[in-house]
Amino acid sequence: MDRRYFLGTLGALAAYPSIGSATSLNKAEIVVVGGGYGGATAAKYLRLFSNYTAKVTLIEPNAQFVSCPLSNLVVGGSRSIGDLTSSYANLKSRHGVKVVKDYVASIDRDKKTLKLASGSTVKFDKLILSPGVSMMTDKIEGLASANQSGATIQAWKAGADTVALHQQLAAMEDGGVFAISIPLAPYRCPPGPYERACQVASYFKKYKPKSKILILDANQDIVSKPALFKKAWAEEYPGMIEYRPQFNVTEVDGKTKTIKFEVQEDIKADVLNILPPMRAGDIAVNAGIANANGRWAEVNFLNFESTSAKDIHVLGDSIQIAPLMPKSGHMANSHAKVAAAAIISELNGWDINPAPVLTNTCYSFIDSQKVVHVASVHQYNSAEKTFKTVPGSGGLSPEPSILEGLYAWGWARNIWADSLG
Amino acid sequence: MNLNKYPFLLASVILSLSIVFFNVSVMAQTKSAQELYQRGLAATCANCHGTDGKGQENATMPKINQLTSEQILTQLKAFKSGARTGTIMPQLAKGYTDEQMQTIADYLGKKQ
Repeated sequence: MDRRYFLGTLGALAAYPSIGSATSLNKAEIVVVGGGYGGATAAKYLRLFSNYTAKVTLIEPNAQFVSCPLSNLVVGGSRSIGDLTSSYANLKSRHGVKVVKDYVASIDRDKKTLKLASGSTVKFDKLILSPGVSMMTDKIEGLASANQSGATIQAWKAGADTVALHQQLAAMEDGGVFAISIPLAPYRCPPGPYERACQVASYFKKYKPKSKILILDANQDIVSKPALFKKAWAEEYPGMIEYRPQFNVTEVDGKTKTIKFEVQEDIKADVLNILPPMRAGDIAVNAGIANANGRWAEVNFLNFESTSAKDIHVLGDSIQIAPLMPKSGHMANSHAKVAAAAIISELNGWDINPAPVLTNTCYSFIDSQKVVHVASVHQYNSAEKTFKTVPGSGGLSPEPSILEGLYAWGWARNIWADSLG
Repeated sequence: MNLNKYPFLLASVILSLSIVFFNVSVMAQTKSAQELYQRGLAATCANCHGTDGKGQENATMPKINQLTSEQILTQLKAFKSGARTGTIMPQLAKGYTDEQMQTIADYLGKKQ
């Protein structure tokens, strides 16, 4: 045996630990699609958890992040959309994420490439999809044309529509009716519609006290914080809010502002906020990974990898949820950290954490200051391969409070910084 | 030295080196993987308290990175047992095992 051969053997042995580990992580092109609570957090934490060695690209069509949580305060007029808007600049400058302002038009799963709306092609080794929800507008007859004419606005993705909905309320005469319809769960932000009713009521109480609010809910009962919302409506806004369960909207006429239902008589309103059923974001559906009823993406909860596509991970509102797991910004941020850690482990050749933990906190504003919350802790259950809430943990506020209003803003500032800063 | 004349010596050298490198590698990976596990668990606090417990100046939540590990663990246990009241924390603390709390406190606590 000559010396060169011997040293070669040594070299091979020395190289052994890094085979499929650091090399893979350093070389892997990781692409995140969608810069909301899930995607932005994933991009940042992939960099943090890899000690700034992973190559991460974030593709997001909007120039700025606008928070859906707290956006009902804009609908009610007590806050501006600017209060909820953050920049993607820190993801680039502080964390070295390559941020691309573009829209992913299609995914080639075999070639592992993305086609962008601008025409360029992006390769990936690992893809993280966090596209939020899409509205199933076609499930309600007339809704598409009513949206187009401006007769209806969903404002279920914060931004220009949120401001436009407030403007419709501001233009409405005192004594008018605001109607909000709620689809069958699951949908994005379970307490959101009920909080919106509170915010509109808060605005009406101050500026248009003769006006009414109709909540037309396809569900059997209030989906989140039912007792707290019912109490708040009765005490803070007596006679102003009417809640009607099991009202399933089938059709809307934008010209006459009429809502039609599966069972009940037609209802007319002045400002219509018709929320149709929701599904995973378009890119997830078009890529064929929304394999739960064609609506949501099933994932392996240890790493959030799609059960139908290797190396494609899905986060946030687009996934088929575990029991009692809400579709919320806080939960999407939690998903992102578990997925980021698992992807870094996998690319390093390490075992994936077999016992990940998720938390959730949802604050709802009853008026412009007082808040109620729901909180939960979700531990991975290896026997059932899903997340389950821990018995005895989590819970609700006993009553609305200004203190929790302060915490809600503290939560917002910290989670925005945790996701983007 | 012509090692071809000593096949058993060569084999034992290679085996020993394998074990040494493998163990060093496993130990390094174990340490890094363990640290990642700790960071991941501690990151479940970051949604409300800021990344690594470093909250924003204008946020109302306590800046937990300014506490020692011992102080964090004491507070977490007090929230879990009900000795300390609060809004969200008593509810969330009950969702963690004592071992998980120890891991979080060790990772986030202010280093002396």
